[in-house]
Amino acid sequence: MIDQLLQMSVIVGIITTGVRLATPFLLAALGEMFDQRAGVYNLGVEGIMMMGAFVGFWVALRSGSPWWGILAAIGVGIFMGLLMGLISITLQAEQGISGIGLYMFGVGLAGYLFRITVGYITGIEGFKPIAIPYLSDLPIVGQIFFNHNWMVYFAFLMVPVSWFVLYKTTWGLKIRSAGMTPEAADTLGLSVVAIRYTCLVIGSIAAALAGAFLTLGHTNMYADNISAGRGFIAVALVYFGRWSPWGILGGALFFSLVDALQLWVQVLGLNIPYEFAVMAPYVLTILALTVAARQIWGPAALGKPFNREGD
Amino acid sequence: MKSSYRVQLAILVIAVISALLVGAILLLIVRANPFTAYRAMLLGPFSSLYGLTETAAKATPLMLVGLGIVIAFRSGILNIGGEGQMIIGALAATVVALTFQNWSPLVLLPLTLLAGFLGGALYGAIPGALRAYFNVNEILSTIMLNAIAQQVLVFLLRGPLIDPTEIAYGTGFPQTQQLAKGIWLGKLIPQTRLHWGFIIAIVLAIFVYIFLWRTVIGYRLRAVGAGPKAARYAGIPVERGLILAMALSGGFAGLAGIVEVLGIHHRLLDGVSAGYGFTGIVAALFGRLHPIGLIPASFLFGALVLGADMMQRAVAIPAAIVLTIQGIMVLFVVGSDIFIRRPEWVEKITARWRPKASQPAQPVALSSSAASDQGEPPRD
Amino acid sequence: MKKLSILIVSLLILSALLSACAGQQQAQKIRIALILPSTVDDLSWSQGMTEGVKAVQAELGEDKVEVAISERLGNPTDAAAAIRQYASQGFDLIIAHGSQYQSVLEEIAPEFPKTSFAYGTGFQAHDNIFAYDPQAQEGAYLQGMLAAKLTKTNIIGVVGPIEAGDAIKYNYGFEQGVKAVNPDAEVRIAYTGSFGDIAKAAELAKAHMDAGADILTGTAQQTVGAIRACAERPGVYWLGNDMDQSSIAPNTVLTAQAYDWKSVVMQMVKFRQEGKVGGEHLVLSLANGGLNIVVNPNLSSVIPADVMAMIEQAKKDIIDGKLVVELPK
Repeated sequence: MIDQLLQMSVIVGIITTGVRLATPFLLAALGEMFDQRAGVYNLGVEGIMMMGAFVGFWVALRSGSPWWGILAAIGVGIFMGLLMGLISITLQAEQGISGIGLYMFGVGLAGYLFRITVGYITGIEGFKPIAIPYLSDLPIVGQIFFNHNWMVYFAFLMVPVSWFVLYKTTWGLKIRSAGMTPEAADTLGLSVVAIRYTCLVIGSIAAALAGAFLTLGHTNMYADNISAGRGFIAVALVYFGRWSPWGILGGALFFSLVDALQLWVQVLGLNIPYEFAVMAPYVLTILALTVAARQIWGPAALGKPFNREGD
Repeated sequence: MKSSYRVQLAILVIAVISALLVGAILLLIVRANPFTAYRAMLLGPFSSLYGLTETAAKATPLMLVGLGIVIAFRSGILNIGGEGQMIIGALAATVVALTFQNWSPLVLLPLTLLAGFLGGALYGAIPGALRAYFNVNEILSTIMLNAIAQQVLVFLLRGPLIDPTEIAYGTGFPQTQQLAKGIWLGKLIPQTRLHWGFIIAIVLAIFVYIFLWRTVIGYRLRAVGAGPKAARYAGIPVERGLILAMALSGGFAGLAGIVEVLGIHHRLLDGVSAGYGFTGIVAALFGRLHPIGLIPASFLFGALVLGADMMQRAVAIPAAIVLTIQGIMVLFVVGSDIFIRRPEWVEKITARWRPKASQPAQPVALSSSAASDQGEPPRD
Repeated sequence: MKKLSILIVSLLILSALLSACAGQQQAQKIRIALILPSTVDDLSWSQGMTEGVKAVQAELGEDKVEVAISERLGNPTDAAAAIRQYASQGFDLIIAHGSQYQSVLEEIAPEFPKTSFAYGTGFQAHDNIFAYDPQAQEGAYLQGMLAAKLTKTNIIGVVGPIEAGDAIKYNYGFEQGVKAVNPDAEVRIAYTGSFGDIAKAAELAKAHMDAGADILTGTAQQTVGAIRACAERPGVYWLGNDMDQSSIAPNTVLTAQAYDWKSVVMQMVKFRQEGKVGGEHLVLSLANGGLNIVVNPNLSSVIPADVMAMIEQAKKDIIDGKLVVELPK
């Protein structure tokens, strides 16, 4: 089996699968990174993903174009972000619990809307892969990286973009200060509330797009619980990546490549119980982080509601 | 400063009613009568022996998991690994119960419960140790460990632990054989699902209260939770505190797992954790992270879950509405909390005529000294 | 305080009596409750049973059969609350559609001796518990033969959920069918580790196809994702299970082993009318018509006549008992 795994076509297959699997994690985790950088942690990513997945699917089904689905998913992201903001920022609720509430709300509402609007499983026309001219002709690399649909490119493109926004723009500086020292940011005249709202909306749009990727760019259909816990993994990957876009890219790729590897190992004939293959990405993610452990300071005010009066 | 109990109650009631009003829209869309639906949801759990005992049976694992959440939270760590810890606790205890099934129940029952606690504690200690010594974030490790526990459970259930009759017959459903009848947790009221686990949970809630507020270790844990830096100056070993807190937290989740097995299923099967690892967090937070507050909170949350489920049957609506209304309820209740914590917010609303005190905020350019405090992640 | 408790107890008794009377008034009507692990529209296990019960209702008449459904009760704890409530509301037949409900039924059933309970896949029937048991391996064997004949790459991929219950029976029978006609063909079995992760199932199907499989099959509700993934590749066929799934991929789903739940439910209703409330182990097999191989009419030309004849012959042999499809021991 080992020699089979080392064949070039298999390696290409594994990495291609991994890149596809990484896409929703990458989108959702980058979004969550913005939330957390501004000081809010949002456990409701799963619920937002489900809503994005459903609404994207439904609008695409009705309009016949996945692009309208994407637009609708963005709208859903804005709505869910504002909702989370209302509860967690304006009403200063305990974020762990409001996130769980948002998760239940989103998963439930998506299932409910699916039932009353569609009510049966059906496929749609999703996004087709776009081979990037010249690059996709490259041997190996072309197949792995340059023969996907636009959402995959978009997700990976968001890594340098997020990095640039976060570290090279004043706005990024404001975000980081809202999450690190909101009191200081406030005395400097920044509106911590506005920054946090904006980040929640951005993060939520990203999560909704991650969900829409599942229906419009991956499975071309919708079914109950299509996100299947990916939102929670995305939250975990933010910690893996230590709030840095490149770290998140590493985490999402690592997790997904191990996942892709285990699928392929099973496909090629496996002599160990499949459960060990399925758990491999989870085990190795913990191990990787343990080995690479070092002292990191996250956003110091993460999870703490901000209010001017002070507590 | 806190509002009076009457105001607190009023705020809670307003929040719940608002949530129900929003939910009513969803019900009306599917042509379900909201009154019938909500009557089933709100009164169902309380209006019959069946409802009351089911609610209490649901509250039992919520309470046990919640106790662990309280300990962890008070020690400054959020344990979202309850699912995995429940599974591993139930697994460890089931192995013990099956291995020594011929022993006297008087010995075997305590041994089984202890195994459940220790199994969960060990699985909880892992993220605690990873956080304390390797700085691995506990949210990440517990999410991963939950997934791992699930696979371990299925592997053992369809392999070494499977009920031999399942193999003999060829159905191969992953579950163990029934545990010895002698160690089942007996029923408090016959013909219901209410079992002794409920009493165990309440007694343990009192124990946890005493532990956290009346013992030195409990005090130290809370000190770690209140501020690790200050605790360290005071000479409290923070690392050990974190591990201990997570171990205890996992232990209670593990206990919840085996109590579910001994009281409800009488055998170990897939799905034993049933999401209690997450809903236990909500129950604990509704109980204001206090072991005694947790008792009514678990009961009420159990009633909410059961009632919502009864509503589904009363008006024949899709199950997804139930989850949605529960979500709305959680959001409204947690969102209304600010009015309880800050009574002046209530005043703001009730006294509209008074001019609002707005604080002038003048934009000031961000100075470079503030920027250097941001703690740049080293990757960049 | 004491007075109050007496009052409450007497009220409870009164309400129990009232509901019992209400039950008697409706004696003509059979009331069926259905407990589902996933949703009524999952296009597999749960939807199949829902359609079966609805078909019984349609045949016997809306006024003769009442149907109540609770979905998403995959874990037995929540299901138990629903089962108990249905039982105490006087439902006659409570179908808990999954193996995982066996222990909760064994606990609840003795308290409601007049109510019939049913669960499956399973075999442990009791006084008032029916167990139903699709012989998934039989149809799987036939589909295995078909796959072995149709594959051009000699690689057949299986997208499995969790290695348990139906999946084991199905895969075991399928492999035997393949080996019987084409020993060179390779059956590659892989599992996603979940029943409902359709995106993972899609990815697993893609990996199978990238690795050379041109015929795929699998069980559980997640397979709809795998089917859609197969639909993207011309020349790849899917052999389904549970029910006809060709609606989501008319050019890909070649056949399906469909369970005839209607006949099972009808049988249980008949038993009740004869005064038998349980104790029967109901088998769905090719012999009694509980299982059928449904061929997608769109694609019937894909199956050569001689292959079809061979499969028909094997089906006859299984029915006659000449051919026994083994189960794992």
